[in-house]
Amino acid sequence: MIRVRGLSKRYPSGTVGLDGVSLDVAAGEFVALIGSSGAGKSTLLRCLNGLVSPTAGTISVDDRPVTGASPAGLRSVRARVGFVFQQFNLLKRLSVLDNVLVGSLARVDVWRSLLGRFHAEDVERARRTLRRVGLEGVESQRADTLSGGQQQRVAIARALVQEPRVLLADEPMSSLDPTLSRSVMELLRDINREDGLTVIASLHVLDLATTYGKRIVGLRAGRVVHDGPAAGLSPAAAEAIFESDPAGERR
Amino acid sequence: MRPPVIPVVQWSGWLAIAAAIIWSAWSTEVSPGRLIEGFPFMLDFLRRMLPPDPSVLGQALRGALQTLQIAVVGTAVGAVLALPVAFAAARNTAPAWAFYWTRSALNVFRAMDTLVYALFFVAAVGLGPFPGVLAVVVYTATVLAKLYSEAIEAMDPLPVEAVEAVGATRLQVLRWGVVPQLVPHFLSFTLYRFETNIRAAAVLGFVGAGGIGFYIQTYLRLLNYPAASTVLLVLVVMVMVVDFASSRLRARLV
Repeated sequence: MIRVRGLSKRYPSGTVGLDGVSLDVAAGEFVALIGSSGAGKSTLLRCLNGLVSPTAGTISVDDRPVTGASPAGLRSVRARVGFVFQQFNLLKRLSVLDNVLVGSLARVDVWRSLLGRFHAEDVERARRTLRRVGLEGVESQRADTLSGGQQQRVAIARALVQEPRVLLADEPMSSLDPTLSRSVMELLRDINREDGLTVIASLHVLDLATTYGKRIVGLRAGRVVHDGPAAGLSPAAAEAIFESDPAGERR
Repeated sequence: MRPPVIPVVQWSGWLAIAAAIIWSAWSTEVSPGRLIEGFPFMLDFLRRMLPPDPSVLGQALRGALQTLQIAVVGTAVGAVLALPVAFAAARNTAPAWAFYWTRSALNVFRAMDTLVYALFFVAAVGLGPFPGVLAVVVYTATVLAKLYSEAIEAMDPLPVEAVEAVGATRLQVLRWGVVPQLVPHFLSFTLYRFETNIRAAAVLGFVGAGGIGFYIQTYLRLLNYPAASTVLLVLVVMVMVVDFASSRLRARLV
């Protein structure tokens, strides 16, 4: 499903984001990506849908190349990959429904999407998805009138109407309080179980990772330092992932 | 943290400001005595303006309409010209050299007000409302380009990235990530500029560039105060109506 080989990212400032990461994720997995801040979790997720271009290494998602892809090729990969952001990244002034419809842009003819004339089936899919994430009756409200937890659900609905093969979530709950965090994680787990959607979520809280992830990948200073089932993560191994390293401190 | 201001520096600053005000007042012959002596003449002036002469109402309304039309065309064309310039004058959408040159050029053009441009365009294309329109266009374009570019710089990049991440094309990213963030601000700035342009266009007639200003100036020169007061009343009512409607609209936008 996802194949990463020798992935490195060095930012123009000289900061090392990733340092030789190789990773395979099979269809239907729920991977929790853990590590302290600056360990490379965001960089890895952003490389997977081409928001960040790596300095070295190759990525393919669903047998399509991400690295070295043409702009059209990259768009077709992105259309298959839902991305949920830490800050939700909604268009605050647009209605909840319009925000969700943004997820169907890759499917709609350009002129229709420019005029905002989405097909009835896309609108129906958006409404259905909003019901599924537990948001009913707020379709026509402005996105910024919702609470943080509701906004993150809108963002998840936007990713789901893409009908993606993979869902990437970059610290999806770190702007939310603990109760909301759990409900968002439960939603991601349900999506993974019911739709068989591959989910990779970066988390900085260990207990959420072990509760919801089936597999845990630990990053430290841009390298994979742990990869195994969630059940088998020993406290010592967890400590090693989060242990601060001098290079990490400088970032 | 702001560094603490040394009291001596603070006091000398206030002293310098006070000195500048006193010096300017002295140079401009400010004299409360002369103002008080002038009061009877002002009252006499007001008395002679009343009652307004209704026979020039038609003329005044035609002049007001032309002022409104100058402001409408001038604002619309100015706003359209300002759009591309604004993207060249925003730090986040233009290369550094383009940003620098566009901002500098805008500052130069903005140094002159609409009336100064009107003098220039009357000399270039002759008397009438057309040089007035040109003057409003130029000044509006430079002011709106600056305001638009500030809105572009204040845009949130995160939703734009989210639209890119769903596999949208560049045009779609513009339509769904950028436009929804900018349009309310652009419309609000344009309406605000329209309100100011009505006032600016009202005095264009003083230099022969069309509109209601021509009648104000003519009747004051002819010492026909009742006629002048009719024209002024029409102007005041028009400005108030436009301001009210426009600010109601703006309140709904942002």
